[in-house]
Amino acid sequence: MDKNKIILPSTIVSPTDIARLVREIETVDDYFRQLEIRGKEKTIPRMSKLLDSTIAANQLSIDDSANREHIVQGLQTVQTSAPIMHISFSVDPPGSHVQSLVTWLRKNIDDNVLVTVGLQPNIGAGCVVRTTNKIFDLSLREYFTSKRDFFTKILHESMQESQSDQANSKNEQVSVISGATT
Amino acid sequence: MIISGITILVVFLILHSGSSSSTRTKKGKPENRIEDLTDKAESDVEHIFNEDFREELRNRGRLHFEKIIGENAMFLQQDLRLTTSQLNEFMKTEITTVLKDEFSKYEESINDAKQLAIDSIQKTQTTIEQQRELLTQQLNDQLASEKSRSLTRFESHMADIVNHYVLEAVGEQIDMSEQLEFILAQMERNKESIIKDIRDGA
Repeated sequence: MDKNKIILPSTIVSPTDIARLVREIETVDDYFRQLEIRGKEKTIPRMSKLLDSTIAANQLSIDDSANREHIVQGLQTVQTSAPIMHISFSVDPPGSHVQSLVTWLRKNIDDNVLVTVGLQPNIGAGCVVRTTNKIFDLSLREYFTSKRDFFTKILHESMQESQSDQANSKNEQVSVISGATT
Repeated sequence: MIISGITILVVFLILHSGSSSSTRTKKGKPENRIEDLTDKAESDVEHIFNEDFREELRNRGRLHFEKIIGENAMFLQQDLRLTTSQLNEFMKTEITTVLKDEFSKYEESINDAKQLAIDSIQKTQTTIEQQRELLTQQLNDQLASEKSRSLTRFESHMADIVNHYVLEAVGEQIDMSEQLEFILAQMERNKESIIKDIRDGA
């Protein structure tokens, strides 16, 4: 097992979160260093939800400098080597849904996958996933596109039905008129 | 006629009496009788052809002349009438013939012009019909092409159209929580491709 490997919680979604977390850990590290220099008792500073969840996920103590170093190195490793997926939605998704998606991705695709979220209002529903080399259109529009033959078939059937209905109605009108004239 | 008859009678009597006297001369003393007869004839002529008889003859000749003149005038009038009627008939016939010829020529010209006009109209109609058929064919081709193009375009944009109508109909009712299941199902379907791309890309 890689010694720099850390477990990313689902709250860490994007490379921005990694950078923000690294900066926060450095701040916390400075804080503990200042306390140590001043000879004061180590008190846990107030941390962000990101850092809390990271510490909790890795079951580490933040007051230990080695742990902090481990987390920072782990995060930097993730920042440099983790696969990044760009996912575009039609509307801005809530954080919980993004976290659910990231959880599924880290469970099924890669442990350290990071996600950047974008907006594409024209896709309707679903999302468009852009990986390193490919674009996976998982939108409703693409789903409809894949079902084009089905729609065409339905359309032709409905057109034929409407034409036959029109022909029947014309025949009925003609029969009514001919009956009225006779 | 009467004058000529009287003249012939007188001449016959003279010649007859002459021949009788000459026969008598052959028998004896005929020359004196002839002279007597000649004298008597001369005196009788003067006696017969007196002024009254001459006047009568003149009157008769005048009447006869007038009669002849009248008859000739009548004949001339008849001839003139006949000639006039024949002339009228001839003129009528000639004019009719000329008019018939002219009318036939005129009718022929009119028929030629009419035929020419009919031919021209038929050619024009044929050309118009050909142009109409050509235009109809072009229009039908363009219509079929446009119909096919529109249908192809419609079918190619079928997904966008359906997507648009679906979004217009239920777009506001689709929230992310309802989409998440669909997104995860789609990702599950493309899971291998995503993993492969991430590994290859890395």
